[in-house]
Amino acid sequence: MADLSINLAGIKSPNPFWLASAPPTNSGYQVQRAFEAGWGGAVWKTLGDPILNVSSRFAAISFNGQRVAGFNNIELITDRPLDVNLKEIYETKKRFPNHAIIASLMMEPKQEKWHELVKRVEDVGVDGLELNFGCPHGMAERGMGSASGQVPALVERQTHWVKEVAKTPVIVKLTPNITDITATAEAACNGGADAISMINTINSLMGVDLDTWNTIPHVAGKGAHGGYCGPAVKPIALNMVAECARHANINIPISGIGGISNWQDAVEFMLMGATGVQICTAAMHHGFRIVEDMIEGLSHYLDGKGIKSVSEIIGKSVQKYSDWGNLDLNYNIVAKINTDVCINCNKCHIACEDTSHQCIDRLTDKNGKPYLKVREEDCVGCNLCSIVCPVDGAIDMVEVPYELPPMTWNERQSALSLAAECKIDSHK
Amino acid sequence: MSDYQQYLNERDKLDFFIQKGFRIHAVHEHLDGASVEFYHPASKERETLIIGTANARKYFSSLLIKQNLGIK
Repeated sequence: MADLSINLAGIKSPNPFWLASAPPTNSGYQVQRAFEAGWGGAVWKTLGDPILNVSSRFAAISFNGQRVAGFNNIELITDRPLDVNLKEIYETKKRFPNHAIIASLMMEPKQEKWHELVKRVEDVGVDGLELNFGCPHGMAERGMGSASGQVPALVERQTHWVKEVAKTPVIVKLTPNITDITATAEAACNGGADAISMINTINSLMGVDLDTWNTIPHVAGKGAHGGYCGPAVKPIALNMVAECARHANINIPISGIGGISNWQDAVEFMLMGATGVQICTAAMHHGFRIVEDMIEGLSHYLDGKGIKSVSEIIGKSVQKYSDWGNLDLNYNIVAKINTDVCINCNKCHIACEDTSHQCIDRLTDKNGKPYLKVREEDCVGCNLCSIVCPVDGAIDMVEVPYELPPMTWNERQSALSLAAECKIDSHK
Repeated sequence: MSDYQQYLNERDKLDFFIQKGFRIHAVHEHLDGASVEFYHPASKERETLIIGTANARKYFSSLLIKQNLGIK
């Protein structure tokens, strides 16, 4: 069986599955239940000056029968006194010495306040710290969370303050509510962070009730934006992890967060550069025992590929992720409809005819039986037909042999600029 | 005419000049596509083609790269 243990910037855990800082890690009771179920680590719900919460905190979007495709919360950081949390962290660490406990911290941007919090938290034996520069709701209105995390200078300065006194590894958790997450990731590096984690939740309003016209959720008839997470945000998170992983100036480990719901998602994040993953919504939806499937699935996957340690897959797909200008313009794929599998629902034809390149013909064979056929010369390989097709295996996207040598946009522009500058010796 | 047919027409015109010994001298890109200027080293003739289809614009770009690399 493959070794699932990871070491993220010196924080060791028996597997890469950590609970993210959130309601599931609110108390010692919960975290100990999670460790009993098999979770490798837990990032404790954010500690700081204890807050006051509202009632009616969560909302979710169900889409086409899938419950909790996206999840939203307006809950703030811990509302329990620091000493209560620290006592439970101490007890939990004592009971589970080989599991990772990371304390998530949030504080107003004052050096002495950060120092005090870090010292008190590290005294109880946490394995690391995660600075919450990401929560977008509530705390941000008070200058903390994403309000700090959207300003690279503040990220760098506060990380530096924490590193002045921290004895354990410091992870900086980044907000996705920013144009370019690599800017704040780089700031965290400059501040001395040992690792970064991403993404925190995305600003969101889940909906408006059509009868009452109240927001969803609402608190006595009023709403405020929340933080969006769950499966719907996974592609956004995966891109941000990958962008940081391939950035030349970001060379610290990444803890991947955002819509990870199963072992396959975890593998994708690790291939794109994450050393481990943090999970919240899936645990809130299905309970702590989902980690059993994750561990089993990951083990089988690695064994099937003959990989001895999960650490071997970290970052293996990063080099395959690049800028659009480095993609090959002369690479072509076309759709092929397998008529023996196709049910002639015509969804591909309608999608192509109405919204793509009008290259799927509805034909009738000599026996009067209708069938669909792609005019390959007009197909641009957009994938839309295979995306909307309801039958697995009915449409394959197949590679077309190269007619022209590979050529990227950047290579093309270089060649054209040579021509424009009359550097081409066309007189020979 | 389908995009593909238009591409074939434009590709044929590009090939015609290349086969006649012309070389791509300059390319000007604009809202209607690209103007490809050809120059014949022996006869000193100049010709210009307006190329509109995306595939033909890829095609002359590949020809230009080959030309820059000295590939016939």
